Amino acid sequence: MDREQVIKALKDSGKWGHKYSLWAVYFCTGCGIIEIPPTITSRWDAERFGVIPVASPRQANLFLITGYVSVKTLRAIIRTYEQMGEPKYTVGFGSCPINGGMYWDSYNTIKKLDKYIPIDGWIAGCMPRPEAIFVAVTHLWTLIDKGMATAYKKYRKQYKYYRKNQEMALGKLEWPPLYPINEDE
Amino acid sequence: MVILYGLGSILIAFMVGILFAGISRKVKARIHWRYGPPLYQPLIDIVKLFHQESVSHGFIFDFGIFFSLTGAIVTLFFIPIGYIVPLHESGGLLVVLYLMLIAPFGIALSSVEAANPNASIGISRKFILALGYEIPFLIILLSVMTYYGTISFVEIVEIQRESTWGIISMPITGIAFLLILPAMMGLKPFDLIGAPQEISSGPEVEYGGIYLAMSKIQHIFLIFINIALFVSLFLGGGAEPLTFFLKMLPVFFIILIMSTIYPRFRIEQAFRFCVRWPTILAFLGLLLVVWR
Repeated sequence: MDREQVIKALKDSGKWGHKYSLWAVYFCTGCGIIEIPPTITSRWDAERFGVIPVASPRQANLFLITGYVSVKTLRAIIRTYEQMGEPKYTVGFGSCPINGGMYWDSYNTIKKLDKYIPIDGWIAGCMPRPEAIFVAVTHLWTLIDKGMATAYKKYRKQYKYYRKNQEMALGKLEWPPLYPINEDE
Repeated sequence: MVILYGLGSILIAFMVGILFAGISRKVKARIHWRYGPPLYQPLIDIVKLFHQESVSHGFIFDFGIFFSLTGAIVTLFFIPIGYIVPLHESGGLLVVLYLMLIAPFGIALSSVEAANPNASIGISRKFILALGYEIPFLIILLSVMTYYGTISFVEIVEIQRESTWGIISMPITGIAFLLILPAMMGLKPFDLIGAPQEISSGPEVEYGGIYLAMSKIQHIFLIFINIALFVSLFLGGGAEPLTFFLKMLPVFFIILIMSTIYPRFRIEQAFRFCVRWPTILAFLGLLLVVWR
């Protein structure tokens, strides 16, 4: 840490903390999770970026959606996402959450994930290499620095839209809305 | 003076504990052939956790975690860090023995309020393990008190400064204490309390934000207290905080390397280990002290 960074950290310690201590919730959605063990262990060592996996969504602030999302997984993803404390950052990993990827005509796969939960950034590729996660993490640092990683605020603001899409995909949801929905709008 | 010493001891314990946590992550990374995070990474984590949103699950959930942190801090006041002993006239070993149970008890109160089954499993494991290591710990403290003929920390350190260190005069007792230290600190062979892979970090499963930060700080204090206990009882304490810290480092490294190379015990294995080898060694040490 040089002097410039120390001043920056003291000026906005929250931003400093959120930047360099991204705790990813250990949640496997699809085949993309196979890239995570080499990333967090000896070969690619994600800990030097401050990224460690944690077991509980309450402790996490980074959500990596690894691989394709089936309708059944979407339910778990939404519940996990809503349990995380703000600020929280989501990154879609692989081409399947972006547009369906190779499951583009599947009846049981969610094609565009950002209709259901807000996403801060995407890592394209099938599979992306572990280095791509580090590119994404450093890019997320830039976004946090500029105050642009605000997908969680979007979720609060446009919760009605997201809730409607979630209900369209899953039918009736058995959990109450996270934020109050104003029906008049 | 007491208040000044109290604040000083909290500050020293916090800084040394953060440094230990950083060193432990770095050394673990080097043993895994990784580069590892920067040394101040635990500080970043704690700062971040104070800025993170958290969810409360009721009054006891809030109260328990404060109770636990307070218990850790009060225990700290009885431990001599060099010449800094905020409460040196009262208490001693017996009080520390009681106070050390407050911190896990507070965590238990708090996390059971959240009604998460993983937290309940973690807490039950914690108390079974505590039952296991309390038996040798009691025998060790009994032999130390019998050997020196006092329960005061300050006097024990004084006697050791005049004669030899405790680890030389009662080596078997010291080894028994070293064996149960990882269990008391909740480090690797005995980290079944907060095992992330089995019970999603156990009692900490419902903690987020400031609660998790306080839990981490409590754990940092706990590590400091346990190593300080070993250093005061067996390595002759320290004339000043710096020498005390220098004596804490090798003890911490031994435990750290033990915790990095050994995999996690199951709960019945951990309990069996605790009531077998450390208890036998501690009992042998007690016999030697009595027949001396």
